[in-house]
Amino acid sequence: MISAYILITMQPGKSDKAIKEMRQIDNVAKISIIAGEYDIVVRAQVKNLEELLDVTDKLQMVEGVNKTTTQIIEKEISLQ
Amino acid sequence: MIIRKKYLFYVLAITSSFITAAVTGIDSFVGGQSAFKYDPWAFAFSLFFVGAIVTFLIALILSIKFKGKSVGAKILDPSFKQVRMVQKSEMKYHLVAGLMNAINTVGYCAIVSTVQDPSVILSFSQIVILYLLLMESITEKDVPTLVEVQSSIIVTFGAILASISLTGEFQWLPIIIVFLVVNPTWAVFSIYQRKLKIMRIHNKPNDSINIRLWNVVFSCIFTSVILFIFDIFTSGGHLIAAFTTSINLYYFLLLALTMGTTFFAYVLYIRSLGMGKASVNNALRASTIIFAIPFSIILLQLGVITDFSTDPVMLIIKVIGIVMIVMGIISFALTVVKAYIFVTVKTGRPLRETMQKLWNIRGVTHVTITTGKYDFVVKVSTRTLMKGYERIIKKLDEIDEVNKYRWASVLKDWEKI
Repeated sequence: MISAYILITMQPGKSDKAIKEMRQIDNVAKISIIAGEYDIVVRAQVKNLEELLDVTDKLQMVEGVNKTTTQIIEKEISLQ
Repeated sequence: MIIRKKYLFYVLAITSSFITAAVTGIDSFVGGQSAFKYDPWAFAFSLFFVGAIVTFLIALILSIKFKGKSVGAKILDPSFKQVRMVQKSEMKYHLVAGLMNAINTVGYCAIVSTVQDPSVILSFSQIVILYLLLMESITEKDVPTLVEVQSSIIVTFGAILASISLTGEFQWLPIIIVFLVVNPTWAVFSIYQRKLKIMRIHNKPNDSINIRLWNVVFSCIFTSVILFIFDIFTSGGHLIAAFTTSINLYYFLLLALTMGTTFFAYVLYIRSLGMGKASVNNALRASTIIFAIPFSIILLQLGVITDFSTDPVMLIIKVIGIVMIVMGIISFALTVVKAYIFVTVKTGRPLRETMQKLWNIRGVTHVTITTGKYDFVVKVSTRTLMKGYERIIKKLDEIDEVNKYRWASVLKDWEKI
């Protein structure tokens, strides 16, 4: 299983509608609206890199998405 | 389905409380049966004995695969695959949690058998939240904040007011049992169940269904041992009586109903323990007292219970208690600040060591090493932004390997359930 954070910058005023679309995308495990350099962080959980490409493709097609930056997780420590 | 993450934690804990309230109603009916009414020790053993069988059967049904995933993963816990044996790494936690659950139940039974109206005494078991706060401040990575302590105290005293009864006799021995046996064992039990839930088994999150299954099995073993020793010293026959009663079809079905329902309450409770501290979980669990009211009314209508106070003073006290519980829970829910920190580190420094340094910072809930623009994506959780600066940013500044970081507060988040 491959996990990745996809950091997204949005056009102003498009976040609400975009989030609704993103929640429908397969393999999206978490979505956070954040304040700062990026507007949205999506955590994707996929079986292989091909599926990750599908997720980023679908995210880039969501209206209002300006740019995506993908951070693939190599190692993780977590409380949950 | 993807829902707001903070809601998921509260939905799990409060749904568990609702089911627990239903179980309390069923318990009062089952416990009132002639075989158990005068022998609460037999009731304790029978619950675990039948509970182990029923829990195993439910877990087996939940292991059935449907469209590539187990039924349990679809409806209860996404981490669940199938029934499995206890792993070596989790054995000591299961032994402690099982022993604590057994002692807790035996302590509970001792109170029920000596006090005419146990609600006078058992309302003090809500103070377990304060025990947990104290234990967490010693053992957990994330020390309780002032807001958590205040909210917990509000919930605790609210729960005492809401559940106290002015009708029974006040005795010191049962009170001592609550403070020295029931509360500490429940606190340790909760902490060890949480430790099990946040463990990784075969590099995957542990699941609450197997945790519950094995807890019932170990609790059954320990209860048998305690009851066996008790029988030897008192020349009693509780263990044999309990076993005989358990295999009677009528009692077996009643016990199966109560333990089958309890299974779902505990699985959700254990899952929520994996998402939040045991003290916060137990504070949310105090809402059981509110949910128990409609079940008590149903039981009253069915004639299962006859004693239900309608004294106006008592009702006012109970309403004040309920308001305090709700206020405390809302206070918990509205005071969490979460953030991502995107970190880049200086070149030539070992990432694993830096990862451990980041993980050691209080309030850090996730640390991930990532490829791409940033070397680490760190997730933090704190009660206030001020604490975020004092506990997290200051500590981050002290890590020599860190080159640059960006703080991004989470404004709203959703998680797949």
